[in-house]
Amino acid sequence: MTYEEFADSRLSALLRYAVMLTGDPHQAQDLVQDTMVRVQLNWRRVARTDSPERYVRRMLTNQYVDWRRGSWARRVLLRGEPDEAVPAPTDHAQSAVDRDQLWSWLSRLPRRQRATLVLRYYEDLPDAEIAEILGCAVGTVRSSISRALATLRAEYVEAC
Amino acid sequence: MIEDDLRAAFARHETLTPPIGPVRAAIERSVVRRRRRRFRLRLGGTALALVLAALVGVPAFTPNRVEKVPLLSESAPPTPTGALNVLLLGLDAAGPADARRADSILLLHVPADRSRLYVVSLPRDLVVSIPGHGKNKLNSSFFYGLGTPTADLARGYDLTRRVVTQVTGVRIDAGAVLTYRAVRKLTDAVGGVPVCLPTRIRSHHTPRVYPAGCQQLDGAAAVDLLRQRHGMPDATLDRDRNAQRYAAGLLRRVDERGMLTNPVLLAKLLTQVGSDVVTDTGGTPLPALLSVAAQGTDTVPVAVGLPVRYTNEPPYGFQLDPRLAPGFLTALRDDRLGGWTTAHPDLVTKLG
Repeated sequence: MTYEEFADSRLSALLRYAVMLTGDPHQAQDLVQDTMVRVQLNWRRVARTDSPERYVRRMLTNQYVDWRRGSWARRVLLRGEPDEAVPAPTDHAQSAVDRDQLWSWLSRLPRRQRATLVLRYYEDLPDAEIAEILGCAVGTVRSSISRALATLRAEYVEAC
Repeated sequence: MIEDDLRAAFARHETLTPPIGPVRAAIERSVVRRRRRRFRLRLGGTALALVLAALVGVPAFTPNRVEKVPLLSESAPPTPTGALNVLLLGLDAAGPADARRADSILLLHVPADRSRLYVVSLPRDLVVSIPGHGKNKLNSSFFYGLGTPTADLARGYDLTRRVVTQVTGVRIDAGAVLTYRAVRKLTDAVGGVPVCLPTRIRSHHTPRVYPAGCQQLDGAAAVDLLRQRHGMPDATLDRDRNAQRYAAGLLRRVDERGMLTNPVLLAKLLTQVGSDVVTDTGGTPLPALLSVAAQGTDTVPVAVGLPVRYTNEPPYGFQLDPRLAPGFLTALRDDRLGGWTTAHPDLVTKLG
């Protein structure tokens, strides 16, 4: 498979995945762009793997999780931390029915936890594959899913 | 229940996905930028490695060798950023040192965006005007340049370079002269060079037969194959095509083995072939330039011969094809070979 074929067939899926991870189209674009540049520069190595798609997804996920762990030169703040000083609108009666509240809660989760949720509930991958993408044990995947869900449930309770 | 909400939330936000087109264009742009930067870094790194190898490696590996790689005149900027043209000359028979000709004349063209490598062969029988020697064939410019009383390959190279510049109108940034021995050692040093031949070739000089298809050549076989022109429909032009195939294969090997980014392998390569390759550094050593070339080897090189046609009046030989050559040379000068080769696919040599 050539890089062009790969990009033609997989780029839109990767962009959707990046949107789910970052929650923001611009950050998703940056994330995919950073990753795909490295993919193209190292295409021969990527193409040699069993599944280039899984390999690239893994690259992209790592890039997302480590985003600000890069070298100082690359450490550009691409993503605002949840700003405590400006709370989201807290009309509780309204937000209980506002389903997008969930979307903003997702952004407060640690990135690895969010990634496991996306892989589990958006990509519908089995735990073993999620573990492979994240480079951790299956047990870690399960515990991080349940921890993330617990956090979200707590938010629900608070909001109601 | 929260799981279902999550699925729904993800599905709902699919509409945020940005369109692919601009993303793809942005990726391409930044790949080009990164390649340029990587090229500069690698060039710097290689130059440093070479200095280290010269200071430490070469004496350590070859305590008895005092010969040095002769450096020629004509320096260019040390870190060229535009298009690069490297002239490779393959000499003919190992006969008397003062009667050498350059029978294989290759121009490696590295475009400014480093996207790909172009191997352009110039036929040795192209009739050219050689400064001080009237009209003659391109390969004799090397012979005329050698000089007397002592023949000097560097001077032969220099005159050939001037003639090539005059014919093509491109600046030659660097170059190398390869003798049989140099080709043999270089080939063996990289562990053999792959070439793919369209038809079977029987050696006129040895009992060797090269089957159609892909094969790995060792040093002796490479030299033998590069000499063959008899029994091929286009004779010297077919030989030039094999030289293109060899050059493409050699660059691939050098790149695959990471020889130019690893100081130890580099020192080894230098001690194996160093004194047999005469190089015009143009400010950057041959290995550094090979590593520039390696930049373009992410994609398969494009090989093409200078468009020529036979002339039926003396001195018999080739002249530039009046229909194709002007466009080709303009494309080469303006760094637009990609477009030209796409427009003339039948003139591109099949490498695979």
